[in-house]
Amino acid sequence: MNKWLKENLWRHVVALGMSFFALFPLYLVVISSLNPTGSLQLTSFIPREISWNNYKLLFDSPAIPYLTWVKNSLVIAGAVAVISVFIGASSAFAFSRLRFRGRKTGVQILLLVQMFPAILALSAVYVIMERVYRFAPSLGLGSQTGLLLVYLGGAMGVNIWLLKGFVDSIPIELDEAAKIDGASPMQTYWLIFIPLAAPVLAVVSLLSFIGTLNEYIMARLFLVEMDSRTVAVGLQQFIGGQYSQNWGPFAAGSILLSIPIVVIFLSLQRYIVSGLTAGSVKG
Amino acid sequence: MTLLYRGKIALVIKIILLAVASAILLMLAQSAFAQKEYAISAFLLISVLAMNYVYLTSRSVPFKFFLPGTIFLFAFVLAPIIFTVVMSTYNYKTGNYISKQEAIERVIALGVEPDEAGTTFDIVVGKTSAGELAILASDVATPQYFISTKTKRIDLVSTDLTLNAYGVATTAPNFTRTSISDLTGNQDYTKIKYLYSDSYFISIEGQDVGAVFRQTLKYEPSTDTFRNLINGTIYRDNGKGNYADSKKQILEPGWRAPTWFSNYAKLITDDHVRGPFIRVFIWTVIFAVLTVLTSFGFGLLLALALNKPLRGRRMYRSILILPYAMPSLMSILIWAGMFDTEFGAINNILNTHIAWFSNANFARSAVILVSLWLGFPYFYLISTGALQAIPTELTEAAAIDGASGRQVFSKITLPLLLQILSPLLIASFAFNFNNFNLIYLLTGGGPRDQLGGEIAGATDILISYTYQIAFGSNVQDLGLASAISVIIFFLVAGISLYGLRKSKVLETFE
Repeated sequence: MNKWLKENLWRHVVALGMSFFALFPLYLVVISSLNPTGSLQLTSFIPREISWNNYKLLFDSPAIPYLTWVKNSLVIAGAVAVISVFIGASSAFAFSRLRFRGRKTGVQILLLVQMFPAILALSAVYVIMERVYRFAPSLGLGSQTGLLLVYLGGAMGVNIWLLKGFVDSIPIELDEAAKIDGASPMQTYWLIFIPLAAPVLAVVSLLSFIGTLNEYIMARLFLVEMDSRTVAVGLQQFIGGQYSQNWGPFAAGSILLSIPIVVIFLSLQRYIVSGLTAGSVKG
Repeated sequence: MTLLYRGKIALVIKIILLAVASAILLMLAQSAFAQKEYAISAFLLISVLAMNYVYLTSRSVPFKFFLPGTIFLFAFVLAPIIFTVVMSTYNYKTGNYISKQEAIERVIALGVEPDEAGTTFDIVVGKTSAGELAILASDVATPQYFISTKTKRIDLVSTDLTLNAYGVATTAPNFTRTSISDLTGNQDYTKIKYLYSDSYFISIEGQDVGAVFRQTLKYEPSTDTFRNLINGTIYRDNGKGNYADSKKQILEPGWRAPTWFSNYAKLITDDHVRGPFIRVFIWTVIFAVLTVLTSFGFGLLLALALNKPLRGRRMYRSILILPYAMPSLMSILIWAGMFDTEFGAINNILNTHIAWFSNANFARSAVILVSLWLGFPYFYLISTGALQAIPTELTEAAAIDGASGRQVFSKITLPLLLQILSPLLIASFAFNFNNFNLIYLLTGGGPRDQLGGEIAGATDILISYTYQIAFGSNVQDLGLASAISVIIFFLVAGISLYGLRKSKVLETFE
């Protein structure tokens, strides 16, 4: 017993302490989302009364177009996830497998570009899209399509870089065998590479999806109208510093948004973590 | 399946897609050209040409794979980077936002003054019999009536006119009134200066009022100067985007003008810019270092604690990575609520009444605490991975040689761990260096002395400070913001390349 204590007690103390720290804000959000008064005030750690009022508000109240926000976010983030990986995969394949002049320079440029945090060029993107607005309002500042294009560009560098890393790890013998059998690069790409890389493509898509969902400032600058906002901007503006008033529905909204992401993340954590240690950092 | 990349159907699909894409891009190129956005127009045109060349010929197979990605990267990453660098060499801020041509037009439009008496007329907008835009002006008090166009003025006598109940003329010979519905949506008539006397003109001030003005500033295109017609002052292009007289009085508005390195120079020489910049820079480094150190410390401690079969290990693991799995944006907003002075859970539990975000040190502690919460699971995960990668032979051999557990850790495990993880630690440092969301959504960069005109807040990091300069204050200084962005980029690129080299070194070891 003494030995067990000496060996394991500190481990449990550390793990329990950090678990408490990790859970505390999450637990707090859950109980305040069920609190009928919607107050942020922590009256007790065990809810005395459970009510789904805050969740109802989210779906019924015309002041909170929550479903519209969620739909906007899903459409934008979904489109970014699919299109950027679709486009990025072909570039990654070319960088990794095809031999051509300027390949090395290309890889070096890509390396530099993917290091550049998109937010640094915020003012430039803003000014450019403001000008685009003048001749194509549906693509410029204020439009979701414009925001989508900016996101796609921003995701491209990192995605190509990540995917290139994965492609490099697929044995080249497979391509060479295909080449000997007379396959063109296009055939190698569609018939060998895509099926092999499918799980990786899914993980990179997922990372882009979460990254886009978490993006705040571009969406804030781009989408001014209430109904075109993403859920991140919508909820942030909705509480708008007035934590006492709108906390309940906000808590409910953030829980509904987080649950699917947490579930997907936990179920795919093995792949995601290996991708992360390969050099990326989740945003 | 083969049909998708070989055969006639594939060819038809390819041509249709190409045609549609080309048509859309060409249309955009044309409208961009019409709006004088030549760079954008040229880019679109080149994209169309490249697309058709690459996909209709077999000249370059790699480019068939590259082109879409390249176009996106160029349009939304490279072009903004280049544009940021260009903007950083411009005086580009509120008051100097438009082009020089537009600025000259605005200065001319603003360079007028009313006559001394502040004369106004009741007016009716219409056209002369010659079809020229004109106003029918009435001064009920004098009374005085005339028709005025851009170039001439015809005085009238009341007997020729139809007057309404107030004595305002509504019709006149050789004058057709324009109906109100025709006027709405048509702004042309408001821009005309209707002749009043030699140096004075009438400008339309409202639906049916015109006021007498005279031009005070005249532009001389040959010398590129403005001349004050009343006192003769000459205003010259001062090279910084404004017309200024010899006493450095400037005319508003200015234009965005190239000023080379003045924005960078300001960071060094201008006390109002340098002070906050250095303060923010120091806090940025402290914030990023502390975040990495605390997160790594706690993450490693956890990894060590859970590095052996333990009851409940799986459950601990699932709980511990929750902060990492949550969308960070939501967690930050939740934490911001918890630090609320009146209702926040933190004050509630501590039984205090601290205004967390109003005091610099409290706000900074809050920022570090939240970034620890967000960051430690990542380090727990990667430390666990790294611990498992360390061969057990090494630690066992040391233990056999009589090293204590602590010695094994400090002499063998930790150095190896640091070596494996250093690229990731550096990457994390670079990430936190630009962790805009955390700062902006938690404290907004504050507290800052807004009344004192302070832009930099106590918790502002460089990137959020840049945002404040560009978008967050009354004067939007895009030039200065871009200059700081460029500096941040070099810092981050330097750090990242250093990290990358470290990881390369590692690869050669293995």
